[in-house]
Amino acid sequence: MPDKTDFYNRLNIDTDASEDAIKKAYRLAVRKTHPDVNRNEGATQLFLNIQEAYKILSDPNKKGAYDSGREPHQAVPTVHTAFEYSQETLSSVDEPQIIYSLVDVVSTQAEKETTDLPLNISFVLDNSTSMAGARLEILKTAIKEIILELGEDDSISVISFNDRAKVLISSQSQPSSALLDSSINDLFAEGGTEIFQGLEAAFEEIRKKPLPDFVNHIILITDGHTYGDEENCITLAKSAAELDIGISGLGIGIEWNDEFIDNLCALTGGQCRFIEELNQVKDILAYSISSLKEAFSRRISLEITPAPGVKMLSAFRLLPEALPLPHQYEFSLGILKKDQPHRVLFEFMIDPIPEEIDQVVIASGEFILKRNPRDYTIPFTLDRPLVRESDDEVPPPTEIFRAISHLTFYRLQEKAQQDVASGNPGTAFQRLINLSSHLMAKGEESLAKIAMNEADYIKSHNNFSPTGKKQLKYGTIRLLLPDKT
Amino acid sequence: MITCKVCSNQEYDGVLFCGECGSQLVHAPDNNVNTFIFPSQVRGLEIDISNTIPKKLLENRTFILYYPEAEEMLNIPDQGEFTIGRFVDGQVITPDVDLNPYEGFDKGVSRLHATIRISPDKTKIHVIDLGSANGSSINGYEIPANSEVPLNHGDVLSLGKFNLRVILPKELK
Repeated sequence: MPDKTDFYNRLNIDTDASEDAIKKAYRLAVRKTHPDVNRNEGATQLFLNIQEAYKILSDPNKKGAYDSGREPHQAVPTVHTAFEYSQETLSSVDEPQIIYSLVDVVSTQAEKETTDLPLNISFVLDNSTSMAGARLEILKTAIKEIILELGEDDSISVISFNDRAKVLISSQSQPSSALLDSSINDLFAEGGTEIFQGLEAAFEEIRKKPLPDFVNHIILITDGHTYGDEENCITLAKSAAELDIGISGLGIGIEWNDEFIDNLCALTGGQCRFIEELNQVKDILAYSISSLKEAFSRRISLEITPAPGVKMLSAFRLLPEALPLPHQYEFSLGILKKDQPHRVLFEFMIDPIPEEIDQVVIASGEFILKRNPRDYTIPFTLDRPLVRESDDEVPPPTEIFRAISHLTFYRLQEKAQQDVASGNPGTAFQRLINLSSHLMAKGEESLAKIAMNEADYIKSHNNFSPTGKKQLKYGTIRLLLPDKT
Repeated sequence: MITCKVCSNQEYDGVLFCGECGSQLVHAPDNNVNTFIFPSQVRGLEIDISNTIPKKLLENRTFILYYPEAEEMLNIPDQGEFTIGRFVDGQVITPDVDLNPYEGFDKGVSRLHATIRISPDKTKIHVIDLGSANGSSINGYEIPANSEVPLNHGDVLSLGKFNLRVILPKELK
């Protein structure tokens, strides 16, 4: 439990919070604890405690005196939040309006000495018939190499699955090269693809370790569709998210079910990746592992509550990796990396605003960081001033503009898919042509060509080509990353 | 509400890009994004006819009509305006370019299907569908009969089901 006598903890802020941040945190705390609103027992005392803390911290002189007499070991981790909006102000119009908001959270961990969190990883390998040949052989080699590179604190298990699951390596640290050879080499391809079997076995293996001490992750590698057990998988992903276990999916080739795997990953804050070429298997696996290694907290989640009269239309995680978030108010964002921001783009629709309001609250929320020995909560409020009359159009800030423009690409391909699904290939054709020109204008020549070819394919086949559909989807997602790596 | 200038779709205030066609709706901080690229320019990127048509044949030509199925270019007269169609015995007005040798009949080409018009300064090319039975389209879009429609490098011009590629040799890589 945080030390509630500490003034910074009372306001739930960092010791280096700016004057502005202190004021904001104070307002938020007051709103939660004011006796008029909060009739819970003890709320009044809490309210008074907050007043006391703010009185000191808002006065630079008193704050300095307080800081110098304060025990340094009470310092909370330095986690910062930053916000950017598509427009500086909201306008008082008598119809709904849209505003986008970028929400950043970053752990600027001064304490570099914080030890790396050990990994608790389960690799789930598809060995159904379709994996036969090069796919399985390359995967086997890659997995063995990756495992040998892991540290002595990391815990590893390997599961294979087709119609049923088999634990090849049960949860342990640094399995020997000989054990890896004997348990993985003989794996051959047969049978169907029942992803739930594999996930369930991995879930069991992962839970053999004390979860709070690890970064827990299931890495699923598949090339096929699972049939009939999707619901079970989703239920499992939800329980995994509650236990801070992430799931990432690596899809090989073009047959796998991207919607399903995306969904599975999004629920747990994991990442879905498309392996087009077999020679990418090892690199993509290594990348997945190394990004888990950078974890500062084993999980970060975000809760958001739109204010009355505000609807959240969509949420998109942009950093550390781009991922459309499921439409809900609590998201698992996966691990929080050291010194790397997590960034979420929100789209809100705001009902007409009463004229007498000066500062419009759009939403309030909090980041929840899970890290031993304690969890941290970082609250925030999204708000914008209201202007009544304004002629000068201020262009949106570059960063958010860029993000939204790239989000538009993703949306266009998504809509084209919906067009095809609802029997309007003509509309899909038109949309992909548009997408192609926009991509071209942005200098994305190869993706523009793919969109154009796909448009032509739809014209003659009334449907997407399996490759083109995935290339467009993961191609437009990739564009969302600020550095496009 | 904001109305998209490109597709007339209506969006709420505050939206930055049209949800239907992706066009930008606001003044942008980044100037690069405002450039509009014609779809045919993207198509034009992929054109490579160096294996089938010798470079020499392309010299001094404003444009060619390429028939991908036969990997040939149509023999078109060097004049400001000419017609394309199918030659039939006893026909009073005959087309300048006859598509009979390319199975024009099976592909639904009319006797007088379309006119191609080149501007005097040779910078613009237009097609006019002459009210053909099966119509004409550009890049999959049907074009109205008897009106001038511009042609760009890379465009796929379909006369009935007869697909031709419009190529401006100067645009080739």
